[in-house]
Amino acid sequence: MEPVIETFESRKKHMCVKGEGLSIPVCDKASMPGTVTQRTCVYGGARIVLMPITDSIHLVHGPIGCAACTWDIRGSKSSREDLYKKGCSTDLQEKDIIFGGEKKLFETVMELNRLYNPGAIFVYATCVAGVIGDDIKAVCKKSQEITGCRVIPVQSEGFQDHNKTKGHWIGGDALLDYVIGTREPEETTPFDINIVGEFNVAGDLWGIKPLLEEMGVNIISTMSGDSHVEEIAQAHRAKLNIVQCQKSSNYVAKKMEKKYGIPFIKVNFFGLGQTVNSLREIADFFGDEEMIERTEKIIEKGLNGVQDEILDYKKRLTGKTVALYVGGNKAWSLVRAFEEVGMDVIMSGTKNGIREDYERIKETVRDGTIIVDDANSTELARLLKKYRPNLLISGAKEKYISLKLGIPFCDFNHDRISAFAGFKGFISFAKEVDASVSSPVFNLTSTSLSDNLTLKDNLKTENPLDNISSTNLGGDQHVP
Amino acid sequence: MSHDNCHHDKKFAVINPSKICQPMGAVQALLGVKDTIPIIHGSQGCSTYMRFQLTRHFREPIEVASTSLSEKTVIYGGEFNLMKALKNITEKQTPRMIAVASSCLTETIGDDMVGIIEKFKDANQDLPIIIPVSTPSYTESHVEGYNRTIKALVEHLATKSVPTGKINIITGNLCPADVTRVKDILKTLKCDNIILTDTSENLDGPLTEDTLSLYEGGTSVDEIEDTANSMGTIALSKHVNSAGAYLEKKFGIESISGPLPAGMENTDEFIKSLCTLGDYEIPDSLEKDRGRLLDAMVDAHSYNYHRKVAIFGDPDFVSGMTRFTAEMGMIPSVVCTGTESKIFTNDMNLISHEKGISPVVLAGGDLYDMHRAIKKTGADILIGNSYGASMAKEENIPLFRVGFPIFDRLGAQRISTLGYKGGIEFVDRLTNTLLDFYYDEAGYEIIEEETDVEKTLNTYPVMEEI
Repeated sequence: MEPVIETFESRKKHMCVKGEGLSIPVCDKASMPGTVTQRTCVYGGARIVLMPITDSIHLVHGPIGCAACTWDIRGSKSSREDLYKKGCSTDLQEKDIIFGGEKKLFETVMELNRLYNPGAIFVYATCVAGVIGDDIKAVCKKSQEITGCRVIPVQSEGFQDHNKTKGHWIGGDALLDYVIGTREPEETTPFDINIVGEFNVAGDLWGIKPLLEEMGVNIISTMSGDSHVEEIAQAHRAKLNIVQCQKSSNYVAKKMEKKYGIPFIKVNFFGLGQTVNSLREIADFFGDEEMIERTEKIIEKGLNGVQDEILDYKKRLTGKTVALYVGGNKAWSLVRAFEEVGMDVIMSGTKNGIREDYERIKETVRDGTIIVDDANSTELARLLKKYRPNLLISGAKEKYISLKLGIPFCDFNHDRISAFAGFKGFISFAKEVDASVSSPVFNLTSTSLSDNLTLKDNLKTENPLDNISSTNLGGDQHVP
Repeated sequence: MSHDNCHHDKKFAVINPSKICQPMGAVQALLGVKDTIPIIHGSQGCSTYMRFQLTRHFREPIEVASTSLSEKTVIYGGEFNLMKALKNITEKQTPRMIAVASSCLTETIGDDMVGIIEKFKDANQDLPIIIPVSTPSYTESHVEGYNRTIKALVEHLATKSVPTGKINIITGNLCPADVTRVKDILKTLKCDNIILTDTSENLDGPLTEDTLSLYEGGTSVDEIEDTANSMGTIALSKHVNSAGAYLEKKFGIESISGPLPAGMENTDEFIKSLCTLGDYEIPDSLEKDRGRLLDAMVDAHSYNYHRKVAIFGDPDFVSGMTRFTAEMGMIPSVVCTGTESKIFTNDMNLISHEKGISPVVLAGGDLYDMHRAIKKTGADILIGNSYGASMAKEENIPLFRVGFPIFDRLGAQRISTLGYKGGIEFVDRLTNTLLDFYYDEAGYEIIEEETDVEKTLNTYPVMEEI
């Protein structure tokens, strides 16, 4: 069978087409050294899971670069503190590498506690901190005893694994081992829940929260978007966990089920149908008649508000194709949302997918969809060139690869501009997708001055209006 | 000048850093080299997060390979991964050069990159040039990483043959537009040159698919080899002159270090340096550009005079901007660089003395320190990268974005400040920023109404009553 694209022999099995040959791609393998990997490190994985806790200091124990390149990148919004946005580092120096960095870490923790009196200080281990053998746990314990502030070790040495999913788990472990279950709520209700794996990127949580509150559920904590550490500390009293980002956070939900007997359901607030299903599933779980009734009203109101608003967008987007190349969750959670605006997902891939992620993708996409694992930058460019989607959904590192090829792009990762979750979010979603796919600038990207000069000569003999209509008025931009 | 020991309330933590680690400097330098693959020998995050920063600043695809080290590596060493990386690259691609930068991880576990590369070369044929650069992330900063990389390039490649009469220009980490400004001056003077390294094309590319392949622009390996035959070297940044010093020692090529040609005096100084090294005629056009900068400064003077300015960024950028804004009649009140540097503090001493200013100087400071200092001394405008935004907002002053990284505005690759022409742009834009912020829509100063104005107005007779 023809490979999806030309690449290294060992990489070919990392790509497949649903319904042909391989059922899911080979995945969860180390990236090939020497390629431009789109993956990051375990530290990065842990950091993005915990960083949205807004009342906490996130202290990176390592040389300056690990903090300097990551301190502002989450795009996660806060309704309260902005302490989490500070870029804190122990800035390890050569002498610390030789003599150990524990003392410096201790002093830094004490100092940050004095300066900010934070809800917690999360201390992230980096590669070097691990190699020199700093006992971060001991330092955290000691400084917590002295200060009374929660000082939480995150054993996230970057090199631990090729897959940053491990970092998500380590971040989850920090919450499970040091935070969850350490405080009792003043009041409980029969409808207490936690929202797990919702990071409030661009304010997504704020599209979901009002719906849930109107239903009558009580949100104890969010892990970790727009959260305070003391809220997460009470999470063990929830009756239900709902999991939005199942890539990063099934782990925490499963562990909480085991440890505290809290059941969880997988939800998805991207797209109308998914939002409706998620709300109904939550209401069904509680089985409260009034809640079920309220939920139906919320759904009716929500849907009514949306349909008219998206008509225009949908008209322009129908029949357009989209490729997803994301961290994990969005590779399946966005598929239906795109179908609802009339678009066709022709490729879905992840950088860090594990087997269960690809099973999810396979269940979600239609036959003929390309499924891709860990594509490096060269492979991504080849995929885009060969299959020419009308839109790529990915992150900052992929953005300009796509744009340079004249393929419209939306950043649905840390740099996302608007909130997409829930009913209102779906309007923003359609609007933002339309703003990329339908922009007339992409009609111009494959033109050149010399072509235009020749074209002008030819046009003299033809009716000029024939050509204008196809080049300027938002027709099909890309002929595959 | 006051050497405020601004660490009085903070001795250990770095909060909101104003520096990055050495491998970033290596990448910044290597992105200006033609047909070259940069690779970081370290964890995946090292290359990925740097690419993230660079790509959102330049709004260009940025390619940096990784040796993707993992747990095993730490136990057995990174040799296998580095060999494998070199093998994978050379199997599929034919770059002219591969440059390998180390990381804190590989430096700490003691990988012998030179030995590993030699071993790879012994076992394989028809290879590209492979150069190791030692950039341990736990010493100094990205500025030193840049310096070491240029030095490594020259050490490995510079070869004596026939004198060319060219001038080597080590730019330091400049934005593409500023590299172009410097090249324009050289062109005007008919000064043949080798730019180390030339990012002007690579990091401000047109919309074409070609930008996804290895760079066709930038400084070529041949040019770097030829640096040994130039008649002089000028490092625009005093912190990146090691290659110049090396060429001087090894090949007797005269080397001049700094200053960054920001503002009138420093640009004059740069042209003077060129004229010391070679016999260049100053054309009318350059004199006119200088005149236009003076004209712009005079046009703007009343808006800028005695406005307090706070500046942060790379050391040479900060000292250049301090002198420039002082030339304009502004008062640099706080200047901060993340890199600890004697050169920087000496520069600041000199500028302060000459200009009669006494800024708070933070060498090796972070934005926390800077913010504290601004609260104390005041500032009307902040000059620096996007990380200054929240500080500016809190202090209710405008942020003039220049430096690296700028990710919340467009056009970072096209902000030029250097030379006379870049200076004109800077003066106009900076002054307009002040006008936008401190003056009304018609350009008049915004004046608060006096509290008893209304009362006074009420004492005037009303028309109807007359």
